[in-house]
Amino acid sequence: MRVPLSWLKEYVEITQSPEELAHTLTMAGLEVEALDYVGADWGDRVITAQITHLEKVPGSDHLSYTRINTGSGEIGVICGAPNIKEGDKVPLALPGARLGDLTIGVARKMGYVSEGMLCSPRELGLGGDHSGIFILDPETPLGVKLADLLSDVVLEFAIKAHRGDLSSVIGIAREVAALTHKPLRLPEPRFREQGQPAAELVKVTVEDTELCPRYSARVIGGVNIGPSPGWMARRLLMAGMRPINLIVDITNYVMLEVGQPLHAFDYDLVREQHIIVRRARDGEEITTLDGVQRRLRGDMLLITDPQGPTAIAGVMGSAVSEVNEGTTRILLESANFKPVSIRRTAVALGLRTESSSRFEKGLDPELTVFGANRAAQLMAELAGGQVHPGIVDVYPRPVEQRTILFSPSEVEWLTGLKVTSRQVHDALSALEFKVEEVSAAADAAGGEQLLRVAVPTFRGDIEEGADLVEEVLRMIGYDQLPAIVPEGPLPESQSDHWFEREYEVREILIGLGLHEILTYAMTSRQRMLNLLAEVNARTAQVLLQKPADDGQAGWITAGTEASASSGNGVAADSKEPFEARSLPAVTITNPLSNELECMRLTLLSGLMETLQENSKRNRAGLRLFEIGRRYLPRGAGELPEERRCVGIALCGPAAISWVPELARPADFYDLKGVVEALLERLHIKRYRFTPVQHPIFHPGRSAVLEVERSGPDGGERFTPVGFLGEVHPLVQQRYDLPHRTYLCELDLETLYAAVPDRLSYAPISRHQELTRDLAVIVDQQVPARAVQEAIERHGGELLRTVALFDVYTGAPIPPGKKSLTYTLLYQAQDRTLTDAEANTLQEGIVAALREEFGAVLRS
Amino acid sequence: MIEQLDALLAQLDALQERALRELEAINSSAELEDWDVRYLGRHRGELKNFSTLIPKLGKAERPVIGQKINAVKERLESALEARRQELRDRELREALERERLDVTLPGRAVPAGHMHPISRTILEVARIFTRMGFQVVQGPEVETDYYNFQALNIPADHPARDMQDTFWVVPGQILLRTQTSPMQIRVMQATRPPIRVIVPGKVFRHEAIDASHEAMFHQIEGLLVDEQCTMANLKGSLARFAREMFGEDRRVRFRGSYFPFTEPSAEVDIDCILCKGSGCRLCKYTGWLEVLGSGMVHPRVLREVGYDPRKYRGYAFGMGVERIAMLKYAIGEIRLFSGNDLRFLRQF
Ligand SMILES: [Zn+2]
Repeated sequence: MRVPLSWLKEYVEITQSPEELAHTLTMAGLEVEALDYVGADWGDRVITAQITHLEKVPGSDHLSYTRINTGSGEIGVICGAPNIKEGDKVPLALPGARLGDLTIGVARKMGYVSEGMLCSPRELGLGGDHSGIFILDPETPLGVKLADLLSDVVLEFAIKAHRGDLSSVIGIAREVAALTHKPLRLPEPRFREQGQPAAELVKVTVEDTELCPRYSARVIGGVNIGPSPGWMARRLLMAGMRPINLIVDITNYVMLEVGQPLHAFDYDLVREQHIIVRRARDGEEITTLDGVQRRLRGDMLLITDPQGPTAIAGVMGSAVSEVNEGTTRILLESANFKPVSIRRTAVALGLRTESSSRFEKGLDPELTVFGANRAAQLMAELAGGQVHPGIVDVYPRPVEQRTILFSPSEVEWLTGLKVTSRQVHDALSALEFKVEEVSAAADAAGGEQLLRVAVPTFRGDIEEGADLVEEVLRMIGYDQLPAIVPEGPLPESQSDHWFEREYEVREILIGLGLHEILTYAMTSRQRMLNLLAEVNARTAQVLLQKPADDGQAGWITAGTEASASSGNGVAADSKEPFEARSLPAVTITNPLSNELECMRLTLLSGLMETLQENSKRNRAGLRLFEIGRRYLPRGAGELPEERRCVGIALCGPAAISWVPELARPADFYDLKGVVEALLERLHIKRYRFTPVQHPIFHPGRSAVLEVERSGPDGGERFTPVGFLGEVHPLVQQRYDLPHRTYLCELDLETLYAAVPDRLSYAPISRHQELTRDLAVIVDQQVPARAVQEAIERHGGELLRTVALFDVYTGAPIPPGKKSLTYTLLYQAQDRTLTDAEANTLQEGIVAALREEFGAVLRS
Repeated sequence: MIEQLDALLAQLDALQERALRELEAINSSAELEDWDVRYLGRHRGELKNFSTLIPKLGKAERPVIGQKINAVKERLESALEARRQELRDRELREALERERLDVTLPGRAVPAGHMHPISRTILEVARIFTRMGFQVVQGPEVETDYYNFQALNIPADHPARDMQDTFWVVPGQILLRTQTSPMQIRVMQATRPPIRVIVPGKVFRHEAIDASHEAMFHQIEGLLVDEQCTMANLKGSLARFAREMFGEDRRVRFRGSYFPFTEPSAEVDIDCILCKGSGCRLCKYTGWLEVLGSGMVHPRVLREVGYDPRKYRGYAFGMGVERIAMLKYAIGEIRLFSGNDLRFLRQF
């Protein structure tokens, strides 16, 4: 809300500078967002002047040539505004004037010389109106600096949702008065009432007194509809409203001044002179003043006459009984409406007005008569109106003044600030609370002084002691609060450790040279489906997979028929064409865009898109990870399952480097190495990688990671944690990635279930260790893991470690075969092994490998 | 015989002199070995040749010559050893010189990752508050209307909902949380005082995205409830936070504000980290920067979770992580955080 300082000063004396005043108010919770110094740029080059002659410029449909009396001479000015006529007094910017970004000069146009510019309100910084020149009062002297007459400072407030009473100049003035210990000077509307009483002229029926607690109406006859006086137009402009005509302007002026929205009907257009306040009928229609036809709902409140609606209560009027040039009698509405109803209506219709925004914050029902009288006074004084006697006032249940029993010690109890009863008394009184000492209750409160505080009706936000504490604190000053670090007892553990765990994973991956990214949790189904090499109902299921407690079953391998039967919400028929919208996901009903229409089911699409963005400008490879949640839908009306995950992406070489090894593009084993390092750092010892068919990945280069954890029956079992692999070339192409790309997504909750609760130390054997190398030739298809497991199984507990140090194909190894070379380390905990023992073990292993894989020893 | 003796001694002197002169000129181990054989060789070394003359000498001359030969031999041997050492030193020096590296070449890169500035800021804030006895908890990002609004004294159709335009999953029921405050309710329901928690996490607002607005950003909520907490404690905690986060000489300012779930409420400003309070563009020439909102837990909120507001008191605060990071690292554009441009991320 914009409040011109000059207007504010009408109600309270202000001795502080505008900046000091802004500070005082801001500290007390009335945040001044900006000070607008209107006229600061006018200087002495913007002056008052008068149009002495006006002629149309031949050949132009809108330009006029004017002769202007500057008070000290006459000049010619070209002007394009439609609203000027001879005799008008106007603001004139002379050559050299600077208004905002605009510098005025002498211009030649269509054979005329223009030696200045006539200004619109917007050009002067007096609000947004640019429909015509700002016409000055006829009494304005000529040739004086406009700044001397009109410059002002406008305070811009952000009015908080609970303080409807502050949405007015008087409301702000009341706070200024309280904070600066000055009296508040309220206008006292005085006018002569004459003619037929209003009660005989208009009938008001309020059918719904719940939504309309009060409806006050006055009738004013004999009004002249003309333009508003300059001072009023100027105040409206500076407050951000556009002058329209005197009657409408008076209703707006009073709304800005006292905070009571008003509506002026043309009395003679109100059919049967009967106002009926009622709810709309479902589907009833009204065309509002902005020319839009609106369909209404049954919970919206209408102002009607017997023949139909004339206004949406508290929001906007219609053309039906609008004030027009021929209007002579005014039916003035000053009503109070229930905030929730007004808000709901305004939101539903997408129609927020100055009026609705005031009503929805809650207004004082006691304000209607004051507002009506103030407007009646101005209509009498400025529009020559005759105010008919009396107010038609429907107010079945007058608002009761709330009283709160308050102990001054509550201030210290809640804030730590010591205050006296006197201070509390003064602070609340300054804000127009009625404070009374209660002696009778003193005993009950242990000898403590109690106050009975009567809350003014305009302070609907004050309900209990804590609210009064805040009022006292605002008056005494928040800067008086002491600062004391809390000393109270420390709580028991309340943490679920996920914060620490997420940071543990984060630190490990950063240590492995990966950069953390943070992408939107919102995405679209299409963006996620882009991950799949081939999209059908079956492949789409992988986006919904999660680790299941019963082992592998929950982790569908998309290439196998078994998956087709696993119901995860997606119709599982790969023949059917698949539509993105049939992918179950947490849908946002009011998304910002189609790209952000649902919550993500995977972190991988964000990673791929980030790779894509960065690869455009990055010659080195990319190593990224993100820690975040997948949002898996559950039943309707239920919150989704949010699963904590980590996603990893590698693409291209680790670095731009002169070292050939580092300049090598990342491959599957780089990614697997990262995952294995993560497992090692988390002390997860029992895990395995198994080949898997997955629609994101290269069919021969992807694996599921499983960790061993205790099942519900106490036995150990492998549970899937996530998958990793080389992105399918079709998918890589889709994202324009220059290198083969590797992705991994792991479920952190399953992963951490496999982290040992505590570590225990195994003594280091002091007995000698024996090493033996073992080179075997097996079929290409034999997985290295199977060979390794067989060696471990047959080596028994004396075989301490097995390490693969060479994998070789090519001559002299026969085609279709590969050679695997291991180094085996034998050691006993309690004695020194003999060579013979080690040899026997080694021979046993060789025999087993021959048996199981047809392995041949390489000589 | 004397003449012969003198002549022999003179020859030995001459031999020594010649041998030493030659030794001086030798530059390789091979030549050195030649020299060794030529002068000190056991079989045909020149010195050996002299020894073979000894038996032909008189009894009196023998020891003289013998001693002389020994003296020359020792002299030559020590000279040889010295020369050998010199050569070895030089060859090592030369070998090392040939192995000289260009130490200005870049090292073999061990890739180093970077923490996202939002994670980093959350961690810093969390550390400051954990030092004050707070614990870190997280909550659901998709929430119910009850936890996000109603329980926080924001009923349906409350104008305060305007401040938090909402993404709805089920309109009126399920939403993307607009603030981390719903965890105030969840924590108070799940446990009993004393409570000291902070809650970092994602929040969502239905706002057009521009240089200073994001549809998804991060907040950190703080909640302390016990039987003795006051607003002075809130100020004490936040003053300490501001000093640890933004510098020892930071000043903190409390001013009135409004949040539906706190009463009294306070906006918290720090003096401008750029101009130290004298006024600049960052602080819009006020000298102060708004960093967070706070207040004493509203009695209605306490009653909602079954706490007696006459017994328990608490404070709550909420800060925008992006805002804190932008101030701390002088970042002028909020969209950088979700942009994930590595040129940005590598700076943290
Ligand atoms: Zn500054």
